[in-house]
Amino acid sequence: MPAAQSMFPNARIPYGTWGSSFFPAWQTSALAEVNIAQFAGEAMNRILGKRRVSTDRLDYLIIGSTVPWHWKFWNAPLVSSCVGRRLPGFHVEEACATGLLATLAAGAEVQMGAAEVVGVLTFDRTSDSPVGVFPERRAYQRTVPLADVWDNFGFDPATSGAMIATAGKAARKYKVDRREVDEVALLRHEQYFAARESGALDNVLVPLDILTVQGRPLGRIDDDLGVRRITAGELAAMRELDTCVTGGTQTHASDGMATLLVTTPEKAKEISARPEVDIQFVAKSEVRSAPSLMPEAPVIAVRRLLDRTGLSMDDIAVAHSHNPFAVNDVIAARVLEFDWRDMNKTGCSLVWGHPQGPTLTRTLIEALEEAVALGGGYVLIFGCAAGDVGTSALFKVS
Amino acid sequence: MAMALRESGLQSLGLGGVLEVFARGQLPATASDLVTEVFGPQKARGSLVISGANGMVGAGKAMQLGARLLPFGVRVVGLDFPGAPDGIGGQYPGLVSTFGKTRAAQIMANIVRLTYDGRTLPPELGDLKPAFLLEAIPEILDVKKAHYKIFRDAFPGVEIRSVTSGFPASELGVGIAHPAFPHQINKVWEIVEPKPSPITQLLWALGLVPVPVGDHWSFVLDVLFCGLTHAAILYHRACNMPYWKIDKWVRKLIGPNPFRAHDVIGAQGANFLTWSCLHHLAEHYGELFRPTPELEARKDSGSDWYPPNHFRPVVDWKLETRELEDLETWILGPLFQMTSLLLHERRAELPFINAVGELCAQFRKGVLALVRDVGADQARERVAAYHRVHPAAGERAWHPEAFETIEQPAGQQLYVNAEHNGEVGTIAIGRESYNGDVDVELNRAVDWLKKAGVERVIVTGDFHLATQMVGADTSEFYPALERTEEGIRVSETWSRTARRLATDFKTSVAFVNGKRCLGGFLELLMHCHHLVSVEDADLGMPEVTLPVVPGLEGCHWPFRKTSADAWPKLLRLLLTGRSVKARDGVPWLVDFAGPMDAALQMAWRLATGEESGVRRRSLVESPLEGVADAPGELPAADSPATEAARRAILESIRASCAAPLGDALSIQARHSAGFMVSEPCLKGVIGSDYAKTMKI
Repeated sequence: MPAAQSMFPNARIPYGTWGSSFFPAWQTSALAEVNIAQFAGEAMNRILGKRRVSTDRLDYLIIGSTVPWHWKFWNAPLVSSCVGRRLPGFHVEEACATGLLATLAAGAEVQMGAAEVVGVLTFDRTSDSPVGVFPERRAYQRTVPLADVWDNFGFDPATSGAMIATAGKAARKYKVDRREVDEVALLRHEQYFAARESGALDNVLVPLDILTVQGRPLGRIDDDLGVRRITAGELAAMRELDTCVTGGTQTHASDGMATLLVTTPEKAKEISARPEVDIQFVAKSEVRSAPSLMPEAPVIAVRRLLDRTGLSMDDIAVAHSHNPFAVNDVIAARVLEFDWRDMNKTGCSLVWGHPQGPTLTRTLIEALEEAVALGGGYVLIFGCAAGDVGTSALFKVS
Repeated sequence: MAMALRESGLQSLGLGGVLEVFARGQLPATASDLVTEVFGPQKARGSLVISGANGMVGAGKAMQLGARLLPFGVRVVGLDFPGAPDGIGGQYPGLVSTFGKTRAAQIMANIVRLTYDGRTLPPELGDLKPAFLLEAIPEILDVKKAHYKIFRDAFPGVEIRSVTSGFPASELGVGIAHPAFPHQINKVWEIVEPKPSPITQLLWALGLVPVPVGDHWSFVLDVLFCGLTHAAILYHRACNMPYWKIDKWVRKLIGPNPFRAHDVIGAQGANFLTWSCLHHLAEHYGELFRPTPELEARKDSGSDWYPPNHFRPVVDWKLETRELEDLETWILGPLFQMTSLLLHERRAELPFINAVGELCAQFRKGVLALVRDVGADQARERVAAYHRVHPAAGERAWHPEAFETIEQPAGQQLYVNAEHNGEVGTIAIGRESYNGDVDVELNRAVDWLKKAGVERVIVTGDFHLATQMVGADTSEFYPALERTEEGIRVSETWSRTARRLATDFKTSVAFVNGKRCLGGFLELLMHCHHLVSVEDADLGMPEVTLPVVPGLEGCHWPFRKTSADAWPKLLRLLLTGRSVKARDGVPWLVDFAGPMDAALQMAWRLATGEESGVRRRSLVESPLEGVADAPGELPAADSPATEAARRAILESIRASCAAPLGDALSIQARHSAGFMVSEPCLKGVIGSDYAKTMKI
């Protein structure tokens, strides 16, 4: 493995101290009924319990979410109370890149010596998102109501376009063939179901039981509800919503949480059930594409990342992306000159949905598990985010 | 010369054995005599002073003792600092609901409230002639000692007891009377004194339950309760499980809710007391008790253990097999280790160690019964597993050999004792509800008496731990809610035991000495040849209200012992669930009811075969006809479940009475077990308790 300098030499992600809920599609599960921050805090506690990591070890908590939740003002300290500890901490938000940002922010906290064991907890509930009522004196309506999830998806104030339109525009720019997009979507589904069946995700996904306010069972979150097996014929028959974008080649909104820890090299050895596994932060890159070309932004970020680290795609052992549109993967493969079959091998957000805040956290966890199973190597994570942002980060598993 | 299976509870209080009570025909001590001994003669009665009277313990005990001492003209002085919140006044609504307005006002009027500054006693106190000081001030050793000195200087003859939950008498320089929560109603007091004093005997005579314990840092209750809380916190540290859910698992495992108990008692005070107790225990016994940072933090903040209402838990904690094993290791391991410590130090008679957990800390079974169930080897292995996850706990306070003492008679007869004089025996039951352990011990007691050739027996409560007999321990029915065979097994097993009271002795006399005898216990005692009761005891068959169908032969046995004209009364008893006073149950249910001394004397005469004027009722063994034909006008059932239970009970009565005695036992068992798996039962009191406790 070629050497690349670590951006946070004093920070590590302890192997196996992570977990994610399943991501049921919006409005399909008990998660549509709960304060998602409370759920996330309690779920993190449960997951760490299963991993035999006492929350007593944490000294800081970074939370990430994009959809406002009840009592959001109280931020990470409140969520940490739901974890069962009184920790300080803060909240980060960068649309769909939130999960990666929160992880990198935790790395920075540890690197600067401000904290020793930082919990990263990302979550969102897209179901029944809150509606903000904004006094806008300069608007004709004077007062503007805005449904947080769907109104934002439908309108980027900077470009006046919808999120979906960026996929169509990028597909047209790169002259993407609809058939290739359908092939990507089909393979991604096959990869996901193969991973589920092989048990490759068993160390990632944790079933969780939800209670009513009276303490009775409300539902069990033990599946990525909304995901179904799909055929090439079904994909081909789907109506195009924009160029190369159909219901089958774009992601769907979902609810969920994902968590991991970041700590010092010494503590990582103490905390992890496999102390011999070493996971380092290598580098990060973030860019913004031209207006309304969001699907090409990640690949620009990756190219910058590779240039800076002196690595090539041949050096990457595992690549996972947040790909709300299958178009993203086609463009990435074309620009970076590699086969899209070689990435997202355990599934991706195109298939299992997109609760926003935790999406890239689960993506990262799946990628790290895959790299450990392979015996190590560089792990590339990338994806797009609202505002035509592309983000990417590199980790080293050894 | 009387022989005993083990020492009786009464003997530990210096009050002799149960057999002596019957032979003498009177209780070993009376409240009025003991009040005179402790507080002086009526014309010069001294007072009871409770210091820290506005605190949780002080105010509770002012009510409990005040209500009992009022008839004897003993004033209660409530002493506290001037700024103390009005804890006594807060008790008034509870008094009214228990005693009614008039009596509540009398009790309150008998309490003289005085304030003092901690250094000088109020001058009015002298006029009230303090005879007994019950100290309930904060757990600070120097403050307590100074407090005693002030009293002793002012009133040299005053008797002092501390309610402390942690300090030994040897440190305090006074005896200890440590009461259990809730203080208004819990009757148990752990007593530390060189020998049973008149104060302790007075507590007994007032209907309370003093339990002698050894002089150590913290007493049996606090070792178990605080130690269990500590174990639960350590388990939380190991696996992150929230406290509310640990409570549910601990309740399922053994009974208590340690964290809820703290919040209910009042986290501010309870957290401090638990910390204080563990802190002192850790000094002497090491890491088995060392308070954790979580407890330290809550001691300082006074925070509740449960989340607030607006944060009721969202994520449940189901446990996989491996996790369940961990839970048992973290909870039962330290509990068994603490038990070994209690046994090693002989902190109390074995039945008392066992009973304290049941009566004061919500244990479904006392700790010794638990160890007895799993066996000494398994208990040692559980502790060893605990030491593997928490090695420091094993460095001290671990006495694996101590479990051998459970093999002694006192460990084998935790609930049932027997005595005899060669002619007449007593079987004394020291548990208020009947369970499998009582059943096994009762059989052993019968065997022991028969082996000694005793043919005459009195079956009674133990005059100590069991102040009433409330019926079957319904948690014993949990398995029967899912499996009919289990219901049949319990019903048949217990019924066979009950029949031994009718068949294994020439004469058997049941004696009801407490406030009530209900359900399974009444069914059991009906099997004796005679039933004698104190006259104002409540006797009843409340099964229909739960609802369940009586399974200990209550559906046919009493009908076989009465004439047909009394059957409607028995039917009403069974179908309404309403109790009757013992005096009103003569002669169709009870053979004799009278004041305590008269009842004791009658029981003795019947047992010894002296002339009593009471004839033995015969038992009809052939089928009875027409028993259930005329239940008469019944009050409307208060729910469809009660209606269903009435029908089922009536059917059980019809079927079991229509059979010969030899067949009736299994017929009734089938009816009882069959109803147990029915929807009305599953949705009733027992089914709901089962779901809440076990289906978590």
